[in-house]
Amino acid sequence: MSRKQTPLRPYFEKMAEIGKELREGEVRRSQANVDLVREQEAIISQEVERVRNAGIPAEKIHQRGGMTIYDRLDYLVDEGTWNPLHTLYNPADNEEGCTGVVNGLGKIEGKWAVIIGFDNKVMAGAWIAGQAENILMVTDLAKRLNIPLVWMTNCSGVKLMEQETVYAGRRSSGAPFYRHADLNHLGIPILNGIYGTNPAGGGYQGISPTILLAHDGANIAVGGAGIVGGMNPKGYIDEEAAQALIEGTKNFKGKAPGRVETHFDQTAYFREAHDTEQGVLDGIKDYMRMMPAYDPTMFRVAEPAEPRLNVEDLNLILPANQKRPYDAIQILARLTDNSEFMEYRPDYGREVFTGIAKIDGFPVAFIGNQQGVFPGYPEYAKGEYPGVGGKHYREGLIKQGEFVTLCGRDNLPIIWLQDTTGIDVGDLAEEAELLALGQSLVYSIEQTELSMMCVVLRKGTAAAHYIMCGPQANNNNAFTLGTPLTEIYVMHGETAAAASYARRLVKEDDAGNDLSPILDKMNQMIQDYQDKSRPVYSAEKGFVDEIVSLTDLRKYIQAFTGANYQNPKSITPVHQMLLPRIIKG
Amino acid sequence: MSELTAPIAGNVWKILVAVGDKVEMDDEVIILEALKMETPIYCEESGTIAEIKIKEGDAVNEGDVLVIFG
Repeated sequence: MSRKQTPLRPYFEKMAEIGKELREGEVRRSQANVDLVREQEAIISQEVERVRNAGIPAEKIHQRGGMTIYDRLDYLVDEGTWNPLHTLYNPADNEEGCTGVVNGLGKIEGKWAVIIGFDNKVMAGAWIAGQAENILMVTDLAKRLNIPLVWMTNCSGVKLMEQETVYAGRRSSGAPFYRHADLNHLGIPILNGIYGTNPAGGGYQGISPTILLAHDGANIAVGGAGIVGGMNPKGYIDEEAAQALIEGTKNFKGKAPGRVETHFDQTAYFREAHDTEQGVLDGIKDYMRMMPAYDPTMFRVAEPAEPRLNVEDLNLILPANQKRPYDAIQILARLTDNSEFMEYRPDYGREVFTGIAKIDGFPVAFIGNQQGVFPGYPEYAKGEYPGVGGKHYREGLIKQGEFVTLCGRDNLPIIWLQDTTGIDVGDLAEEAELLALGQSLVYSIEQTELSMMCVVLRKGTAAAHYIMCGPQANNNNAFTLGTPLTEIYVMHGETAAAASYARRLVKEDDAGNDLSPILDKMNQMIQDYQDKSRPVYSAEKGFVDEIVSLTDLRKYIQAFTGANYQNPKSITPVHQMLLPRIIKG
Repeated sequence: MSELTAPIAGNVWKILVAVGDKVEMDDEVIILEALKMETPIYCEESGTIAEIKIKEGDAVNEGDVLVIFG
């Protein structure tokens, strides 16, 4: 008789159950909180809809017989697997209201890919400010997760009226061509479906990936045919020069270079040419079936399972009032398979939890901030003050550094659940070595080869936002999510106002002057901090890669985990893992 | 007769009930303010508020009685 099982079954098949059902009274008193979450979600949805409608109306594209980027994504991506990223990203506040590319993590033919396409409604996919940075985040993600990058190129080249915002510089619109070369060099394939007219920058966007599939109406070229000579010895355009331009443009009969007749029939750069837009996407699907991917059985330690506790409870548990504590384990219990968790050193460093859980049957690590008050802790405070949730103290920092290092050894991807107000400050904290221990955690993260995902549940503040694998962890952080309750700033606005104006207040008060002008400035500063830390602002500026409803967090965690285990570069045999043994003792 | 006590030292920021009010388990009764945080105090059982031992702004120590139920 043949027998089969998952590895280290005694450790992973059934872990400790965490969390508990909410009582009727808890549900009743938290209804107002749900309303506040929904209010924020409505604001975010409105912004997402605005971006989706950027540029010319979709109907115009449809009338021409074309597909929008959203139609292409709908056709290409496996149903229910799309996890958009950078939707609201628009750091330069472009008049287009976006950066002209749409991207995310999704499955094609059952395999995870990082997927990106030009929004062909927005200036026919022109290079606009912020776009290169958006693309670089996406190429970084493919590199981090070691999964294919899929492009839908439809790029008219530089928005010439604003060339200075895109053309030059280290991280400008030329940088993605190097990133594509880098991905190819690393063995990460890039599939490219090519549509429309792609001159100059669009041409290199077209040529730089691994596999090129073109629509019959597409072209890629070093330059476009439509550039009629505009230079004349006068150095400016007068009536005479304008007339010459008008005549030249009217008489221009040339076709765009680099058409399918050239790059399929002659150069054979294009592997395929299709007379329908869907045909190109079908071609991408065919190639996706060829992409390297392990069967999940290879790495699963248990059968996939939904959380035992209701995911909808998250809107009741996480307080919109940032000053309110909550039970962080109740959040975790609504994210992990079967609401189970194997906690590492629960009695040490109480302000953070660390441990192993399962997502879709894959082993993953979680690290997060506990909330509440911890009387008698930290020990080094000698009773002068109690520990509070969201802060980091000596033991918690040591614990996180230790845990991350062991995760690196066991190849466990890490999901960080941040809700942090900072690292403890003052002479006692310095004597307790918190400055060095914070950086030590950064070092621990950096010396692993792990993918990590960060969720800023509510507050991402001070250096603690950095050390808990915030987006600053360029080499490890795959992406960072915000929620409808996220606030990201160096410190709370009231603290910042006090720090900035306290001495001035003393001076004015000593001089017997009216304090109200200073108070006005302080209150304006507090308001600014509020306005410039909210979810939509955080997404526009790239503080986070996407704002996600609390109830959708698990979907992104599943995508991150599944993508991570699709084709890992390094493997720890499960039966040789140390962490489960250390936890058991 | 049961009572609610302060779980931590802090200031009484808000009192959400009055003597004679009927309350249910998990209702929010008092909010303490300490360490820049709000600490809500919830009823651990249903009952009627018999006596409120504090007023808003008072400083309380851990273990101080806040409310007595009838």
